[in-house]
Amino acid sequence: MINPHPGLPEFEYIKPTSLREASQFLAQHADEARPFSGGTDCFVRMRDGVLKQKYLVDIKGLDGTDGISFDPKTGLTVGAAVNMNRVAAHPEVAKHYPVLVEAARSVASYQLRTRATIVGNICNASPAGDTIGASMVLDGKLHVFNAAGEREEPLSTFFKGPGKTTLQPGDIVTAVMYPLPPQGHKARFIKLGRNKVSDLSIVAVTVLGYPDSNAKSGFCFRIVLSSVAPTPLVAASAEAILADKAISEATIVEAAQAAMDSCKPIDDVRSSARYRQYMVRNLTRQAVTDVWSQLQ
Amino acid sequence: MPSTSTLGEKTKGVIGVDMPRVDCHEKVTGSAIYTDDIQFGNQLLHARIKRSPHAHALIKKIDTSKAEALPGVKVVVTGADFPKRIGLYLKDKYIFARDRVRFIGEAVAGVAAVSEEIADKAVDLIEVEYEPLDPVFDAEFGASPEAPLIHPDLADYEVPNFIFPVPGTNIANHFKIRKGDVDAVWDQCAAIVEYKFRVPHVQHVPIEPHVAVAKMDETGKITLWASSQSPFAQRNLIAKSLGISESDIRVIAPYVGGGFGCKAGVTMEAMPVAIAMKAQGRPVKLRLTREEEFYTNFVRQGLIAKIKVGCDKDGKLLALQNTMYWDGGASTEYGVNITRAGGYSGTGPYDVPNVKVDSMCIYTNHPIGGAYRGFGMSEVHTGIVQCMDMLAEKIGMDPVAFHKLNCVEGGDIIATGMKMHSVGLRECIDKVAKSIDWGNKGKPSAPNKKRGQGVAIMWKAPAMPPNAGSSAWVELNEDGTVTVGIGGQEIGQGSFTVMAQIAADSLGVPFEWVRIAGPVDTQYSPYEWQTVASRLTWSMGNAVRGAALDARKQIIDMVAQAWNENPEDLDIKDGTVISYKSEESISLKDIVVYGIPKPGFEGWVGGPIVGRGNFMPTYVTGLDKETGQGQRAVVHYTTGAQAIEIEIDTDTGKIDIVKAASAFDVGKAINPSLVKAQIEGGFVQGMSSAIFEEMKLVEGVMQNPNFVDYRIATAVDVPRSIDAIIVETAQDDGPYGARGIGEHPMVPTIAALANAIYNAIGVRVTNPPLSAEKIYLAMLDAGIVK
Amino acid sequence: MAYHRITITVNGSDEVVDVPSNMTLLQMLREKLSLTGTKNGCAAGECGACTVLMNGEPVNSCMVLAVECDGASVVTVEGLSHDSQLDPVQEQLIEAGGVQCGFCTPGILISSRALLNRNPKPSEDEIREALVGNLCRCTGYIRIVEGVKKAAEVGSRAA
Repeated sequence: MINPHPGLPEFEYIKPTSLREASQFLAQHADEARPFSGGTDCFVRMRDGVLKQKYLVDIKGLDGTDGISFDPKTGLTVGAAVNMNRVAAHPEVAKHYPVLVEAARSVASYQLRTRATIVGNICNASPAGDTIGASMVLDGKLHVFNAAGEREEPLSTFFKGPGKTTLQPGDIVTAVMYPLPPQGHKARFIKLGRNKVSDLSIVAVTVLGYPDSNAKSGFCFRIVLSSVAPTPLVAASAEAILADKAISEATIVEAAQAAMDSCKPIDDVRSSARYRQYMVRNLTRQAVTDVWSQLQ
Repeated sequence: MPSTSTLGEKTKGVIGVDMPRVDCHEKVTGSAIYTDDIQFGNQLLHARIKRSPHAHALIKKIDTSKAEALPGVKVVVTGADFPKRIGLYLKDKYIFARDRVRFIGEAVAGVAAVSEEIADKAVDLIEVEYEPLDPVFDAEFGASPEAPLIHPDLADYEVPNFIFPVPGTNIANHFKIRKGDVDAVWDQCAAIVEYKFRVPHVQHVPIEPHVAVAKMDETGKITLWASSQSPFAQRNLIAKSLGISESDIRVIAPYVGGGFGCKAGVTMEAMPVAIAMKAQGRPVKLRLTREEEFYTNFVRQGLIAKIKVGCDKDGKLLALQNTMYWDGGASTEYGVNITRAGGYSGTGPYDVPNVKVDSMCIYTNHPIGGAYRGFGMSEVHTGIVQCMDMLAEKIGMDPVAFHKLNCVEGGDIIATGMKMHSVGLRECIDKVAKSIDWGNKGKPSAPNKKRGQGVAIMWKAPAMPPNAGSSAWVELNEDGTVTVGIGGQEIGQGSFTVMAQIAADSLGVPFEWVRIAGPVDTQYSPYEWQTVASRLTWSMGNAVRGAALDARKQIIDMVAQAWNENPEDLDIKDGTVISYKSEESISLKDIVVYGIPKPGFEGWVGGPIVGRGNFMPTYVTGLDKETGQGQRAVVHYTTGAQAIEIEIDTDTGKIDIVKAASAFDVGKAINPSLVKAQIEGGFVQGMSSAIFEEMKLVEGVMQNPNFVDYRIATAVDVPRSIDAIIVETAQDDGPYGARGIGEHPMVPTIAALANAIYNAIGVRVTNPPLSAEKIYLAMLDAGIVK
Repeated sequence: MAYHRITITVNGSDEVVDVPSNMTLLQMLREKLSLTGTKNGCAAGECGACTVLMNGEPVNSCMVLAVECDGASVVTVEGLSHDSQLDPVQEQLIEAGGVQCGFCTPGILISSRALLNRNPKPSEDEIREALVGNLCRCTGYIRIVEGVKKAAEVGSRAA
């Protein structure tokens, strides 16, 4: 029986003045404190009684984490406090990383995206996180601050399970950085929900392709599947087929089938595993076909 | 003194005209008051409810001591405090569970504290010991002798004489129709269709969750403020259950933020009243969370329907058999009448000579079934109309032609033996078919799309006690304006606006002069049974018209006396009394309160004008328990048709509605714009329930009690436009010929969509929700996609 | 639990309010400031009935802590009209017949105003997408979309 609190349960709101202070507080209160930025996930889970935190630490905007910047040499940096609407409306993001815009705009509603952030979406590590696929195919890295030292975390090894990541108490992700996308790349994000937009995904597929002379096919594809495994899933076998075989409709069908075979989704309240599997195949085929037609 | 004559100026009509809503300015500025908006100050206590985690169990012990000891807690109550049963039709429910719980979420105890947070904590401190019992989660199984009994005391429950419980079973009502002899004619049928349908539980989903505040004063009088469709029914039922007199409970009902039936009868409103009786005069507010709104309140019952229908070689229906198992839930206090309505309308709007209907309301350990927009009808039509589509195909007829051949018309003797009044159903069918260019599907927009068209028809009668009544008063003010007292609610449908139109026209004043006396308050407002059953325009409209005509007569008699004229020569136009004979005129201002001086200061005539009116149908008869036959089962039927063209994405199973047309015979549209708004809104609610909605109940636990996983249609999901068509075949006893339309527009939508899906892909997906997943997997299993 | 003193501008008026950590902006507006036009429909950021403008952008006020609003400027439905002059979205929603029970209406109006502020000439698809987080159970949305379209044509008097 789901019987949430009528409002948010008691907690203490903490607003540190620096990342260092925030990190120290979080490390000292490892089991009872949690950082938040937009709070769209955290507040819901607090109300549901799933999270029972004594402290919520507001890390928004500390030490310049509310900036978004594009450098034509190094790429895009999206600060942890930058909301999804700002990302989607940013002209350089639209120009160089359109798939990130597509993914960000698919999340819930405009008013929720005024609060929701891409870094938050990544850190919550839901297999259905809508911007994670785009962040992965774009080779995103997280910048992690910790009072004991700063580091970078590639997304490829970041996710450990639903809601589980490599982050440790005291870690604060301050930004997600995207290198310049590969020359001539095209990308596509297709999300299937119950409603046309705004729903959590039953399945989502993100595909990025670009000309690559090292690949036998002359093209390299990156494919990430959402909502079909405990973590966002790289469809490696499908990627391999598209790299190794001359690309044709038949190759795409074969790759899509490989994507379907590579995932073992579950039945849940949103969909059966069986439907998910077929949708992985069909949406992968659609997304790869779209990308391929643009690459030609 | 009479002013200059205004004769010759035409009063602009207000009937059949799109007058603006009387409530819209308040609603767009945030000043409209809903129950949760009323300010009660610092004395307000907040209630929370301890709920059963068991679907079926005996309560062995409740320990409230820890909750009572929590600082800030003022009241803790349990079922032990309130021993009398409550219920609209069948009194089978307690305000708080007593010896046994029957569904997950049932109220076991209530707490009031100085804050919602403390009340919430206190609820966790209440300890309840249960002894689990075997549950029933399937209505068909529940009807069988093997099923555990959920209400062993059914024989003792108070019940009206038109509900037929079967004590010793879980059958709370068994409604039957036996007309002609179905078994004798199956052999004569050229085609027969037999099919079993399942319609899931769905929720109403008003955007405003249930909320109620109650207070008992020092003299024991109670005031209840509630988001309510039924202030008078609540007064009556709560008073009876708590052992107090009706007039000692005053119900004040502000604007309702969406009802759709879930705020009819009594659901959670009795709880704050019960708690307030022990709160030493402090007001107690209970506001349900969205999650509680989903699984603790009335739901639309699930239905299993086994239907068999046959026709002759020309497609004319010969026999119909419909056996329905309604999943009534833990209490069937309201549900018994839903299954009765499902029973007497169980043929759908078809003329069938031989009919056998069994409509059974079954106790289960699911949430309690209640009224939902057109109760019983969406569920019944889902199966019946799809069967007609199947039968049309089997006999080789176009579905539109089949429906036109078999649809009910004036003079038919329908399944209950009642003679049908004249209806424009055939016209509705023709108009929707024309609107979507029936038979000429558009070309699919892409190679992976398939197009389909579907049609469905419907009927529905106001389902209510035979003698549900309405009353109204019309009072005139010094400035000539008119205050109309009514007890029916504004729940978004526009009833206040329509009543203002009726009063303005009947009295002869400008629409802008009419004020509706709101909020409805049982202390001042005249009696109204409930705001349900699409009955207000018709029933309350008659009462308002009567009251306005009464006031008009008083005014005309007064002026006639003052002017020494014949009342027949006088009229009221645009707020002015005029004489066609003397060509005198006088404004209503002042005279309607102060009267009129006689010439030469020889005294006065008249006095404050107050008109009264009431309406109650007196002609509805009972139906025989074994055959369901009687003179007149219902007051009337509203009928209509829908046609839809859809496009299905064969890669995903997703449906896009390309064209939608919906036509209803409303008798007379008093405000065509509001009628069309009901047709559009109802279509979308129907479409939403058809495609998205289902309470996913697993072992009695709702898996999706929130908007994250109970999806409803959003602005992006709905069609660009809906052709809302009004047909007008006058209702003989309706004001201006009007009959109801609030509920009907959602009734045929599931069937229309299901028929369109079949037309598009050639495989039937019959049981809602007609989700993309179901459609895709059906195509896959049928080999239509690989 | 500690209270935080915040200063917030609501509909142009400066307010100083003491709020507990777990109080949402929605609760503060309704319970501390008696601005009850903003509605509580789900308390989970899903229905949109509580939508307000915060620093010019629409947010679900049930998903914002009051304490986070220190220094912020908030506009609620009560702040849409000025000197009894309705905002075009209010006028056109009435005109189009986009109001029924009225409970979603405040949120619909705020989302629509926010849309027209950032995009004065939206397409029908853009209007529909901008309203996807505002659930309405009565109207079927068609007349609401119509009203926003008309409001865009009439032109904006930004809130």
